[in-house]
Parts: sequence; structure tokens; C-alpha cells
Amino acid sequence: MAVSLSSSRWRAAATTAAVALTLLLGAAAGCDSQKEPELPSVQEKLRESHIWGQPVLRIGVADDEPLMGEIRDGNHIGFDVEIARYIAASLGYEGEHRLEFVAVSTEDRIPALQGGVVDLVVSSFSITEERKKLVSFAGPYFVTTQEVLVPTRHKDTIRTIEDLRNPKYRICTSGGSTTEAELEKNQVRTLVVKDVWDCVKGIRAGKYDAVSSDETILAGFLARYPTEFEIVDMPFGTSELLGVGVPIGDPALRDLVAYFLDKSYQQGRSGEASPWLTAYNRTLGPWLRGEKRQPQPLDVPRLVDFDDKAPQR
Amino acid sequence: MSAAPATASDEPGAGGPPPPVLRAPVQPTAPPPSALPSTAGRVEPPPGAARTETTGGWDPAERRARASQSFWTAVVGVPAIFSVLRLGIEAGGELQTTLLLVANVGPVNLLAGFLTTAARLLSTVLVAVFALGGVLAASGHRLTRRPLFARWMEITPGWFVAASFLMALVTWPLLYLPLLLPTVAAAFQLRPERLHERPALRVLIVVAAYAGYLWLLVPTLRDAGRQGELLPIVLLVVPPLLALFVAGPLPRVVIQPLAPVTQLAVLVVLVWAALPVISTPVLPLTVTTVGEPGVTSAEATEEIRGHVVTTDDVNMVILQERGGVRYVPVDQVRGQVLCPSEEELPRYRLRIHDFHVEDSLLEGLGRRVRPVHRVDAACR
Repeated sequence: MAVSLSSSRWRAAATTAAVALTLLLGAAAGCDSQKEPELPSVQEKLRESHIWGQPVLRIGVADDEPLMGEIRDGNHIGFDVEIARYIAASLGYEGEHRLEFVAVSTEDRIPALQGGVVDLVVSSFSITEERKKLVSFAGPYFVTTQEVLVPTRHKDTIRTIEDLRNPKYRICTSGGSTTEAELEKNQVRTLVVKDVWDCVKGIRAGKYDAVSSDETILAGFLARYPTEFEIVDMPFGTSELLGVGVPIGDPALRDLVAYFLDKSYQQGRSGEASPWLTAYNRTLGPWLRGEKRQPQPLDVPRLVDFDDKAPQR
Repeated sequence: MSAAPATASDEPGAGGPPPPVLRAPVQPTAPPPSALPSTAGRVEPPPGAARTETTGGWDPAERRARASQSFWTAVVGVPAIFSVLRLGIEAGGELQTTLLLVANVGPVNLLAGFLTTAARLLSTVLVAVFALGGVLAASGHRLTRRPLFARWMEITPGWFVAASFLMALVTWPLLYLPLLLPTVAAAFQLRPERLHERPALRVLIVVAAYAGYLWLLVPTLRDAGRQGELLPIVLLVVPPLLALFVAGPLPRVVIQPLAPVTQLAVLVVLVWAALPVISTPVLPLTVTTVGEPGVTSAEATEEIRGHVVTTDDVNMVILQERGGVRYVPVDQVRGQVLCPSEEELPRYRLRIHDFHVEDSLLEGLGRRVRPVHRVDAACR
């Protein structure tokens, strides 16, 4: 009898506790369902950024770097341009009437961002510590190496960095580029011009003997003059990380660009056709040696977006 | 199919408390003298007499008919009233805009739209009522007056209770679905004793089922742990355990405050949760690009964010998101896209086997049928 009584008491206590806990959990679930998301959303970041409410997005691109950024028949084309279009569409700027490409030269990229001439720069912009003090970077979206483009007349004579140091060769590069600093580090005397395009024109005119720059830029000129030039693979050591330049005072925009680059990276990893891969295959892909993949973007913020609930597999 | 009889008949020797009240068998041929259809004061049963529903003062059949009538009036009437109220809110409180909506949104569309957005709330309220009704009915004999939810539970047909739980099963977010287990156990007063007669086998079945359940959730729980999300872990792990103990009579000291407090709480929660539902739009959110024909610059086009009320040969009528109605000539409409609203943003980054925890089963299945959902640039 006593056992039965204590068992029934135990049972009643357990039932009471279970009912109370169920009510408590139900209330917690109810409160939870009404809660605002804790993570910032893409929309919130957009509202924080300086482009919010702007009818047109201005993006700085190169107009004289074949395969990366050039103008053909009045249209901007190239890998950087395609990446720029993807980012712009993700930010809500789709269609030619919402997007303005501003041609910026290598040395004008930082001043254009600082002066508010452009909202973003997607123009073979290498991420460096020095530049990070002046502008913000999202990315990298491409990893490239430094190479040398030589005319076919020198293809057997210029093969090493030692050959570049030979004073009889006039080595050209673009001003304000990372290549200029790298060549200086390797004690290579250079003739600095405004753009790589000027170097190529100079070589064709017999003014210079070689041009050094990013593999991507050089591949563009090789694509344009396949019989006149050759790329020489030299061990410059450092690899270049290309990133999207953003004004330093707009961390929200940097976060958004990094988020969308990462979105493309994740798509590529899961085997889907990512915007990056489409851009690469349409432009650089056929001209670069070796397989390239989108590098993982750094410092990607955790944001929530409308399509987060979509199946991932 | 009802809670009270199950408890009473299945648990003859479950414990010390007297068996719960049986649903009174209807005896139209021989009503007791005290059950005359008089609405005047109740007649207290003589001390020691078995209390049945007939002691309430009404004929049980009539009483049941009245309760049933009020229940069904609530089930049909509340959505109808809500639907009309929503139009007023959708119109931004403007009389003329409300009338414009009334003229253009058909009653069937309105009700269907309401059910789409309020199915979750409706099923939650019904599940709460039936679960509490089950608990209160199991212990109701300890009270002088049977609680309202217990009476509702008893007069509701079994199929309706089951349908409510099924609706909850397909409309609740996956994260909250485990809560259905204790609520089902409470509503139908299901005890683990039903699983098997032998306690050892019963324990084995329960342990195996729970282990299988946890095994299914291991990746989700690991992610939640990594993200430091405690509530999802508790919501996924604890409710199945509660289902084992939730059925059964409660002590009198608990049941007395529980009945009025929970009934009031359900009503308060209904009002609190109904507010967002009332303010959920009836019409889909779109962005319409408008501009003079032939002009392509960004300055010459305008994007109107709002809900399209109607379109005829001359105008497209758009109820703007920030308020006000725009009549846009149809030849100026350059494009239109459907946009998600910010209320749809997820709060967690957790998935159960690729189903997002905040999706219901229906939504999750829907996303598998149409997996890619691209947010149009114009929606930003």
C-alpha cells in the first residue's frame, strides 16, 4: 500500500514536472519564433552601406587589359568585368542602366576610391598591406603570379631573372603596381609607364624588350598577339591575390562583397556552376596554363539572406 | 476517440487517485430529475454521489450541442473576422484603400490567403487547447467545475483533434516539431505502459526509439553546439522525454491554479501571436519597374515596391509598401518581380538533413521540388 502510494506520488510529481516543462518549452518556442534574427542580414548591411538608395552603382574597371577588362564594340568585357557584374547584381544593380563602368588606370585605382569617383574597383587589384591602409579589400577572387611577357625575338635570350638584370634589356612595367616593387626587390631596373598596354605597344615599336606584370594581364596581351609574344615563367616567389577594392570608410559594403564572393566560392565547392567559374571559362580559362579555381575569400562575415533556407545538396 | 475514456479505461490500477470522470453516456430516455433544461443555478449532487456531466444543470445532449455550436462558431468565425480585419491593416487604415481592397480581393482568395499565413497559428492554438484539455480532463474530477478546455476536448470529434495535430505536423517549423510528442501524449493521455505489457521491453522500445531519434539529429545538434545555440538543442532533445511522463492526473494543488492560468495564457498568446498574423500582407510583395517607353536611363525609371491589387486595360493598381495607392498606366510598366519579405529571413543556421530547422515539412518539401530560389536584384 505504502509502495503504491509513493509510486503514485512519484508519478504525479513526474507528470507535474513534465507538464510544467512542456508549457515552459512551448512558451520558449513561442518567444523564439517572434524573435528578430540575431545575425545581421544582407538587407541591413545594404542599408548601412553608402550605396543604399543610389540609383546607379559605379565600378572602376580597366579598359585596356585584354581578357580582364577592355572595351569592345562599346561594351566592357573581361573577367574583372564579369565579376563586377555579378557583385553588382547581388547588390541589387542589374542591367546596364543601373551600372556604370568607370575606366580607371592602374595608378588611379586608389584615388578613384578615395575621391568617391567609384563605389568599387574590380581591376586586377592586388591585395597588399600597404594598400590596405588606404582602401579596404574583399576577396581574394583570383590568385595570380608575376610573369614576364617577351617578344618572340627574345624568347630564347630572356629566360631568367638574371637575364632581366642585364642592362642591355629594357624592362617595362606599369606604375603603382606590385610588379614594380617586386622587380625593384630583385634589383631589376625598370622603365615605368602608365599601363601595361603602353609597355606592349612599346615592345612592338622596339622601345622595350620585355614587360612584367600579373599572369592574367599578360595572358590577355598574349591572346591578342599570339604569334608575337610568349610568356616566360619566372620564379618571382610571391603570388598575387586579386581583390575587390572598397572605400575604407564603408565596412558594410566590404562585408557584402566578401559575402557574395564567398557565396560563389561555396557554389563552386558544391560542384555547381558558380558565377566565378562561368566568368573564368568565358574569359581567362582558355588562355591560362594550368587549372585555376576560385580562392577562398578571407574575412567573410556571417550574414543571413532570403535564400538561406534553400537546400544545399 | 477521446482522452478521458482512454485514461479511465486503460489505467485501472495506475495509482491511488480515483479514476477520472467518464464521459457521461447520453441517456435521452431517462434523464435524471436534476438535469432539466433550466439555465438557472446548478443543482449540487448529493454528497458521495458520482458526479457526471448531467449534474451541470442541462440535458447533456443539449449541453453538448451548445458547446459544439460555440466551438464551431469560433473555428469558422475567427478566421473570417481576422480576414476582414487584415484588409483594414493592409490598407494602412485608410477607409478608401480598404474599400478598394474589399472590391478587388475575393472572399475565397482572402480566406485561402489567411489560411496560408495563419495555418501555423491556428494549429498551434488548437494543439494547445487539446493538450491542455487532455491534461485537465484527466484531473478534472478533482475540481468542482470541469475546466473549459476539458469540456471542449470532450465534445470535439476525434477526427478533428487528429486533424489539428496533422496540420501542426505539416505547418510547424521542424525545430518545434518535437513539442508535438508531449502534446499528443497529453491530449490523448498516452502513457508508455501502452507500448508493451512487460516493463523491460517497454524500456527497451523507448531507449531504442530515442537513440534512433538522437542519431538522426546528431549533425544538427553538433552544429548547434558549435554555434552556441542552446535553445534549439533543448527543443530537439528534451520534448520526447517529456512525452513519457506528461500523461496522467495532476495533484489537486497543481490543477486548481493550472486550469484558469493556462486557459487565460492561451487566450493571451492567441492575441499576441495573432497581431503579426493580422499584419501579414494578403497580397504578394512585388517590385514593379515603371518608366516612360523608350527611355533607358536609371533616372528615368522608378521601382515601386508594393502589392499589385488589380490590373485592367488602362492601369495597374499598386498598393505601395510604404503606404498609398499608385495607378500606373500599363504601357509604362517595364518589368515586375516577386520579392521575399524580411519576415522570411531565417534566425538559425541549422539544418536537419538539409531541411532548414525553421522550415515546416511542407515548406521543406516545396524547396526540394523547386530548389533554386534566386532573389531578384530589384528586390534589394
